[in-house]
Amino acid sequence: MSHENTLHPDEKYKAGKLGSSLAKAGAGIAVVFLGISLILGSMHPDGHMRRFLYSFVIGWSYIFSISIGMLWLIILHYLVRGRWVTVVRRICEAMAGAFPLIFVAGLVFVIPLLAGYQDLYYWAHPDAANPELNHTMIHKLVWLNPQFFAVRYVIYGVGFSGLASYFRKWSRAQDASGDPAISEKLRIASAPAMILFSVLTCAAAFDILMSMAPKWYSTIYGVNFWGSACVGAFSALALITIGIQRTGRLTRSITPEHYHDIGKWMFSFTFFWAYTGFSQFMLQWYGNMPEETVWYKYRLFGEWQWVSIAMLIGFWAFPFVFLLSRWTKRIVPSLVFFAVWQLVFHWLDLYWNVMPQYDWQTVFHEGQKIVIGPLSGNTAMHHVGFSPIDVTVWLGLIGVFLVGVGRNLTGNLIPVKDPTLGLSLSHENV
Amino acid sequence: MSNADKHDHHDHDADEPQALPADGDLHGLLAEYDTPGELVEAARKVRDAGFTEFDCYSPFPVHGIDEAMGIKRTILPVLIFGGGFTGLILGLLLQWWTNAFNWPWNISGKPTWSIPANIPIGFETTILLSVFTTFFGMWTLNKLPQVWHPLFRNERFNRVTDDGFFLGIEAKDRRFDAETTTKLLSDAGAIGIDKIHLDPDPAKKVMPKWIFAVIAATTALALIPFAIAAKARNSKSSEPHIHIFADMDFQPKYKSDVAMDEFADSRANRGNIEGTVSRNPASLKADEAFYYGLEDDPTPAPEGAPVATGPAKRWITGFPKAVDADQRLMDRGKQRFEIYCTPCHGYDGRGAGTVPNRVAQGGGLWQAQNLVDPGKKLITIPNGQLFNTISNGAATMPGYAGQIPHRDRWAIVLYVRALQRAQNASLDDVPADQKGSIR
Ligand code: HEC
Repeated sequence: MSHENTLHPDEKYKAGKLGSSLAKAGAGIAVVFLGISLILGSMHPDGHMRRFLYSFVIGWSYIFSISIGMLWLIILHYLVRGRWVTVVRRICEAMAGAFPLIFVAGLVFVIPLLAGYQDLYYWAHPDAANPELNHTMIHKLVWLNPQFFAVRYVIYGVGFSGLASYFRKWSRAQDASGDPAISEKLRIASAPAMILFSVLTCAAAFDILMSMAPKWYSTIYGVNFWGSACVGAFSALALITIGIQRTGRLTRSITPEHYHDIGKWMFSFTFFWAYTGFSQFMLQWYGNMPEETVWYKYRLFGEWQWVSIAMLIGFWAFPFVFLLSRWTKRIVPSLVFFAVWQLVFHWLDLYWNVMPQYDWQTVFHEGQKIVIGPLSGNTAMHHVGFSPIDVTVWLGLIGVFLVGVGRNLTGNLIPVKDPTLGLSLSHENV
Repeated sequence: MSNADKHDHHDHDADEPQALPADGDLHGLLAEYDTPGELVEAARKVRDAGFTEFDCYSPFPVHGIDEAMGIKRTILPVLIFGGGFTGLILGLLLQWWTNAFNWPWNISGKPTWSIPANIPIGFETTILLSVFTTFFGMWTLNKLPQVWHPLFRNERFNRVTDDGFFLGIEAKDRRFDAETTTKLLSDAGAIGIDKIHLDPDPAKKVMPKWIFAVIAATTALALIPFAIAAKARNSKSSEPHIHIFADMDFQPKYKSDVAMDEFADSRANRGNIEGTVSRNPASLKADEAFYYGLEDDPTPAPEGAPVATGPAKRWITGFPKAVDADQRLMDRGKQRFEIYCTPCHGYDGRGAGTVPNRVAQGGGLWQAQNLVDPGKKLITIPNGQLFNTISNGAATMPGYAGQIPHRDRWAIVLYVRALQRAQNASLDDVPADQKGSIR
């Protein structure tokens, strides 16, 4: 079965109203769910909007990871002169292009931090600087302090937005001019872009997620985060693409062959996440040094062990075994099932990364209350404690993400004059 | 270029199949096509005509050819899954058998078998057997290697590894008919059609015997090293080792403390060279009390005792001047003791640490000394000797000089002294004003 290698004359590849309706729907979701979250958050017994902010960091990391996962695919596509991606690249560009909005959304937790909020990151708490208590992390406060954190947050914002808009801008320019030199230009840019991307991603993962446990060490953390991010990103790409086809657009250009490839990436990153996650775990388990094992101690004992087991089975074993097969990736309903499944577990992964740090212990020393921070005390006292806010914030931020994507879904939904378009259209998995 | 153009062009060739001289039975027909696309189209037509005994040959994989020929998807992935799974199970079994079953070995009281430690090797064996299954499965399922095939007799077919695209139909297909099949192939756009005959010599219709001989011989040769290893494992020998790398086993150098006849004292160790300072920190450790727990012994040697080379030494009983036996040192000592000594000697120093306990669970016997037993000399030995035991070990206890710095060793000495005192305390040790609180 050889496919056409030019765009079918009847193909609907103009976005039309698609983007604005998506953005409107997203805005509705965002307003409703973030509104509910604010109300629930202010009523939460832990006070200080603390639960809301924790949930917000999780939800924000979620949309952030999906957006940068797609940015990675775009850069990789040029770097290796990929082909199959071309037909879905506009969709990837729209997802990666949501970044500026995501950056603005993140200010919800960055600004309080700057204003002196102490209960989100332990390193922002005055007791973190207590030399008796925290001599193992005091030296890290040079890096981990609200002002420098905010500076880096801006760097991430500019970096990711810049990369996304650079690739998007030139790709669009090619639609008009059809100049093949643009592909070449982007290919050359993709190598340094990939390096920049990697550094930014690792650093952002260290700062935003890993520094929740400021005494802990792991060098592979950023890589593991990127693995999880790409599972989420490819799953989201599958869903959004299928959704766009449902509106009657791109129905002839995107075929099971392309879904097969998206599914393959979901599969590989599912394994990659497990691989890097296990690498992190095994070295620390084997080395058995308290400053490293502490992170796992609170995940492998007490209530959290059930979440850990659920992750192992749900985020890895089950999808891994099924996505091995060819049909699970080529049949749309099955792909949808696994995409939704992995999107839920990607969220759980972030939850599992953040929430064990939620319980901070305090001690009384010479009549004074001292906060000794996360990952301390008896493991049996640490509860998983799901809260409805976790879900409402998550949904609200997905709404924000959809606004970002929708605003970018304009004009051609396919890079009509890309030199690799023909190869992408006729792409086949042998 | 469309099929129709090609067709007109090559009709002439196609109508007159040429045969090789001195031929045996008809094997089938071989048609050549100009492009991969035409080959795919031809394959589709041949399949639609109901043929099953045919195959396509091309220098590289052609997209869509499987579907055009009506070939079912390969079962190779399923085999690979099976291979990989077997690899995983075998890898885990291997580790369990060696670590926990055949030769269990107590390492610092850790469990003999633990899944996380086995995952990397299980992963490797999974990959290994998957790759083997892929590689050998691919050859087997494709019926490769084929060193002999009737098509090889055809001159034209040589180009199949270069730029030729061929379709061969075998005569044994029940729809085969030399004339109509030729027409079918040429209608499909063949640029040349040949009749392929078997070699009249029956010996050339099968794989040559020598190939089997080579395979058998290499297999037998490959087994020789294993046979030698098996023999060596199961027999005794008084012969010296085989030295495969003699220059690595016998290096032109002297190890420390061996004899060397070139020097008058017959020793390979030459000591410090005149006018140099040793990099060995030991030679810089002038404070003997602090580094060795020793001091000069002023008591004169008894009459008739062997003459010592240096001044006489004895263990110090107090603490060296360089350390202050204060509360800080005591706290440090407690902490270091609980890190380094409790695994064997227990928190109270009575020798019931986790390591001996585990040895006992395994049916063995390895007891760390009771450090606080009032009946033992350990209570009375000088501090210097205790320090020396920590540094250099005693009998089956290893030395800790490599792990514990000198000052910490003294801290531990202090703490052991405190333990000995505390574990053997009497009522007299309790301050007078607190005696009342003891029942
Ligand atoms: C690996 C286990 C182990 C550790 C750790 C260990 N010991 Fe021992 N220790 C032993 C054993 C076993 C003996 C008994 C040796 C024998 O008599 O065979 C012993 C004996 C001793 C003795 C008596 C030696 C003698 O003269 O008979 C002293 C004193 C001692 N240990 C002190 C220490 C101190 C202090 C530490 C901490 C720095 C320590 N040990 C750590 C296993 C250990």
